[in-house]
Formats: sequence, structure tokens, C-alpha cells
Amino acid sequence: MTEVQTKSAAAAPAAAGPAPAPANKRRHWREAATGWLFVLPFAVLLVAFLLLPMGYALKLSLYRSTLVEGEVFAFLDNYQQAFDDPLVREGVVRVLLFGLVQTPLMIGIALVAALLIDGATSRFSRVFRLAAFVPYAVPVVIGTLMWGFLYSKETGPLSFDFLSSGVVLGSLGNIVTWQWAGYNMIVLYAALQGLPKEVYESARIDGAGAVQIALRIKTPMIASALILATLFTIMGTLQFFTEPLILQPLNPGAITQHYTPNLYAFHQAFSFQQYNYSAAISFLLGAVVFVGSYIFLFATRKRSALR
Amino acid sequence: MNVRNSSLGRKLRRSAVTVVATLTAVTLAACGGGADEATKADGPVTIKVWAWYPSFQGVVDLFNKTHTDIKIEWTNAGAGQDQYTKLQTALKAGKGAPDVAMLELQEIPTFQLTKHLVDLGKYGANDVKSNYVDWAWKQVSTGDSVYAIPVDAGPMALLYREDIFQKYGLTVPATWDEYKAQAEKLKSASGGKSFITDFGASDGGFLTGLQWQAGAKPYTYDIADPGTISVAVNNAETKKVLTYWEGMVNAGLADTTAYGTTDFYNGLASGKYATYIAAGWGPGYLQSVAKTTSGKWRAAPLPQWTAGADAQGDWGGSSFAVTDQTKHPEQAATVAKEIFGATNTDAWKIGIDEAYLFPTATPILESDAFMKKEYEFFGGQKVNEVFVPAYNAIGEFAWSPFNSYNFNQLTTGLGQAIEKKTSWTAAIDTAQANIAQYATQQGFKVQ
Repeated sequence: MTEVQTKSAAAAPAAAGPAPAPANKRRHWREAATGWLFVLPFAVLLVAFLLLPMGYALKLSLYRSTLVEGEVFAFLDNYQQAFDDPLVREGVVRVLLFGLVQTPLMIGIALVAALLIDGATSRFSRVFRLAAFVPYAVPVVIGTLMWGFLYSKETGPLSFDFLSSGVVLGSLGNIVTWQWAGYNMIVLYAALQGLPKEVYESARIDGAGAVQIALRIKTPMIASALILATLFTIMGTLQFFTEPLILQPLNPGAITQHYTPNLYAFHQAFSFQQYNYSAAISFLLGAVVFVGSYIFLFATRKRSALR
Repeated sequence: MNVRNSSLGRKLRRSAVTVVATLTAVTLAACGGGADEATKADGPVTIKVWAWYPSFQGVVDLFNKTHTDIKIEWTNAGAGQDQYTKLQTALKAGKGAPDVAMLELQEIPTFQLTKHLVDLGKYGANDVKSNYVDWAWKQVSTGDSVYAIPVDAGPMALLYREDIFQKYGLTVPATWDEYKAQAEKLKSASGGKSFITDFGASDGGFLTGLQWQAGAKPYTYDIADPGTISVAVNNAETKKVLTYWEGMVNAGLADTTAYGTTDFYNGLASGKYATYIAAGWGPGYLQSVAKTTSGKWRAAPLPQWTAGADAQGDWGGSSFAVTDQTKHPEQAATVAKEIFGATNTDAWKIGIDEAYLFPTATPILESDAFMKKEYEFFGGQKVNEVFVPAYNAIGEFAWSPFNSYNFNQLTTGLGQAIEKKTSWTAAIDTAQANIAQYATQQGFKVQ
């Protein structure tokens, strides 16, 4: 290691000189190549499993494949169709509504829980921390199936059909909250643990109570963690998919195949072989998620560190 | 940090190269599969088969034991839509499809439209035509072109709980009007606890079977003229059926729990449903999902729209088709013809006793082993004496070449109408408009 240090120390002034020697240039290139080599495994995976498939999906979305005529170039026809499709619109409106209710609700629960377990360090708070986190450790499919039984009029404890069309969105929201609130709580709790304790002390000396400290000191100080958790929640709700997919067979009249845009795109591709249209819907949804996230980040840019 | 010349640096660089090389190798290996077939010239020809019949391994073993020149390699690629999705993808990709695939009868036009099924008429399929009744053969063929060999079918009948019928003094209905009268009687006698049945609005095959019985012809379509289709999903017969069931559901006589759910199975086992409108495979199915009710069920012919008539419909059924990716069409055709062949009584013994299939081949249907089989679950009743005549009385029926869309429109439309308590006939009118628009978009000439 000493060798390494001396060499780099010797190289530094040479590299900073006005006209680097050819040897240095070659050395610089070799350094860059080494760097690229380190990045390569990730880059290969990124290109092979994200960028190439995305490019292929983009290409698919610009073609139209009909049962009778085969594949033809359609340019933006699929996008036009998606814009005009009332089923897409219905799904988008539904996930937007879902996100508007779900995001503040879930983040609110997570924040309150995080502040509570941060304030009280009894044995109870440790048990509660674990209990609230456990649902996140249950695989989504298993958790959803379990809720399916609880929601059933026959097997559930309340003899009420939670999956009828009037209440089904709320029932799905409940599953999502159960699954993710604990996870968000841990994120926020971790941020709270990182705060310097001296600040609380001086606040207490200035006469602030526990509630005031929680609301006026702790909450603003973990703003960037809050914003990150909210951002992930917004993205998650707009891409709402797994829970409705799994509960669909229980009441297909209420959870239709176009219940959310993601579900609609899935069924277009894998039930009806409409791969092109499905790709167009997916790209539109991607754009909505991107714009939604950007608006949120823009609106909160003063509070967050994520500029 | 500058690590170029240190031994650590060399090690890191070397391992980075190894990682890249390994990744490349894995990727290449993943892309290169499936090129090593058809190189073995000697020995039996391997035929890959996709199917999801229960107890199918025994049937495969039997075939391999009795054939020295062909060896079946069986894969269960998922049931129904799961398999179709994989099959469509493989067929579109041009590789990866099996030689022989199980297809439900309603899917044959969908797969034939993209010209991925081999015409078995060229490989002697018409020689076995006489073993099948007319309607069943027409499901898989047009003229002398044969696109699949029928295996099983689902003629419909009414399965009912004899104990509940006795308890409430109900009689076995011969017509749908009588059925409704019994339903009303049951509702008041049981204090609204029991329903006459559960109406499977989420099951496209069930909905179609009922329409089929009423003589509905939602589509006119011939594989021989694949570009033209006439769509009449909202025909008068279909509307008659839907109006009847809308009345049953709205009056609280029939339940609407989705088929295949825990609540549905519980209802069958608990006596919540006094009857189950079933297909030929239904007795075996019921036996597996409502074990505790053994001995309490009986089978009766499906109620009729006109008293004294004998109109029947089909719900489900499957066949074996040969895909265009096979390198051995002749041997593949042999597999399709013989694996559940009309004279293959050993295979059908497994099919009937273990898989509860309802055979399509007349020699098997009329054999004592099937016709006279007593079912303990049905109190020793020979239920096939109900199902076989029903099977023989089924009329012709044409499917669309976009059946998953068709089923989806039916089930979504009715499901939402039930949920929102809106008109079922309006829902079927909407489905008609959607399907006609879809067919036009797909390039069909819609009449």
C-alpha cells in the first residue's frame, strides 16, 4: 500500500501540469479504462435488462399488429388510441384518486408511528417496531391472499363483502397501508435516529414539550426522508398492480381487467396478445409517473435535499 | 486511489474481467438453447407435448410403452390462459413451441387464424372422423382440413342436492320456468338461506354453454374464410337467456359469487346452493371441491326452454393440435390421434377414473366402462346416462378467432351489470359494439 501512495503522490503534480507528457496521457486513458471496467458489469446488466427491453417496447408501441394483416408501422396510432380509450382514462383517474388518499394517509400513519417509537424507548416500542414492520416481510402475494380470506363474506370475521364495487378501492388501500406503512415507518425512524440529541435538549430548555419537539423540531429535520418516502409511495400507487391482480378472481365484476392502467396493459399483452397497444399504455403510464414525481419534487424542492 | 501497479489492482482487474466473461457466457447460454434437436437420427422420435390434464403421466407412460418409434416428452405448461400465452409467444418467436399442444375447443380458431396449426387431414386424421359425432368434429375441422383431434367435452346437465330437494319438497325441473318456480319455493322455505344455484357470470365458458343451449349464434365464422366474421353477440336467444338470469339474480333466487373461489366451494359444500349447472367434467370436479357432500348429489338433464325439447349446450372440452414448429408432423399427428384415441381403452380408463374427463369418441362413450359406471358421490347413480344423450344432442356452434377478448367482454359486462345493478341486456349491447369495433380494428371484414 505504501507503494500505491507514493506513486499517486508523484503522479499528481504531473497531471496538473499545463502540457502533460504522452506517457501521462496514456496513463490517464488506462485509469479511465480501469474505471469503465469496474462499471462494466453494472452497465451490461443495465443495457441488457433495462435499456434494450425499453427500446424494444418503444419500437413495439410504434407498430400495430392485427390478427388478420400482421405487423404494420402505425407511428402514434397506439398512443392516440390509448388517449381516447375510456378504460385507460377510468384506470388513470382511479389510481390518481387512490394516490391522493393513500399517500397522505400512509405517510401520516408512518410518521406518527415513527415519532411515537422514537419518543418512547420502552420494551413496548421495540416490540411495536418489529410488529409494524412484519407485514412488509410477508410476500405481497401471500399477504393479499390472506386479506382475500378476511374480506370474504363466508370465511371472513365480519360477514361483510369488502370486495363489492362500492368499497373495494378502500379495501385494496387497506392492504397497501398494512403492507407499506411499517416500511415507511422504519425509513422515517432511521432518519430520526440520525438527528443530534443536543437540539432536543436546547428545545427542552427553551420550554418545548414532547409534542412541540416532535412537530416543530423532529418532523422538519427529517423532511428529506419524508419526501423520499412520499415519492416512492406516489410511484407505487400510480403503478398499482399486484393486489388488484390477485383479488380479481374473487370479484371480477368489481375489480375489472382495466381496474388500473398497469393491470390493463398486462391484460392487453398477456390475455389478448395486444403487445403493441400494451407497450403504448405502459409508456404513457411511465410518462404520467415521471411527470407526477417531477411535479412533487418541484413543489417540495425547498424542503428536500433532492434537487 | 491509484491501484494500477499494485498486486491488489491486478487482482481487481482480473476479477472484473472474469465477471464480464462469466456474464457474457451466461447471456449467450441463455440465448442459445434448443438448437440441438433433430440431430439424433436413430432411436424413437421425440415428440414434445404440452397439456394440463390431471393424471396425465400415466397416459404418457402408456403411450411410450406401446410405441417403439415415438417417445412423448410431456410438459405441463400451465392451465388454460397460462399455457396459451406461452404458446402464442413461442409460436410468434418461431421456436420453443411443442410439437403437440392441448387446446380447448374455443381456442382452435384463434390459433388457426395465425396459421400455426398443421392440417392433420394430410396425415390421415379423416380416417378417425367416424369415431366422433358431427358437432364435435366440426369444432376442430372445416371440410377435409382438420386442425385438432377432440379429446374431451362438456355437455351440460343439472346436478342437484337430493337431500335439500327432499327437505323442502322440491321437484326436479324439466323447464327453466319450472326451475324458477322451484327457486322461489326454496327461497321462501329456507328463509332466504339457500339459493337454487350460483350464476357464474365470471365464467365465459359457462355463459356460452347456456347461450349454446338456447340456440344462440354469436358468431358466424369459418376458418376457411379467415378475413370475414359476423358478430351477433347480442342476438335474441342470448338476450332471452340473460333476461331470465337477470330476473333470477335480482329476485335473490340465484347467487353471483365468482366460480372457483373459496366462497363458491363453501356454498357447494354447505348446502347454500341446491343445484349446480354443470358440464360433463362436473361430477369429478364437484367430488374434489365438495368432498363432504358425497352421496347427496344427483344428476338430471338440463332444464329446457320449451317443454319436451332436447336442446343442449357445451361448456369446455379440449383437443390435441400439432403446431407448425414440429419437425415430425407425421409422428406428431399419430400422437394427437392415438394418445386419447377412440380405441385406446387403457388410456381412457385413466382419463375416466382418475382425470374425470368426458370422452368425445363414440366407442369410448358407449362402452359399458363409461356409460354404466356408478358414481358413489351421486349415490350410485349412473350419471353418464344423463350426460351422454346430452352430448349427442348438442348442436353446431362457431367460435370467434379472438375468444379471450370475447369471453372478457361477456364476463366484464355482466360482472359490472351485477355489481352496479344495471341492465344485463344493455351490457350485452355494449359488448356487441365493443367486439364489432375490436374485430374491425383487427382487420376483419365485419358483417
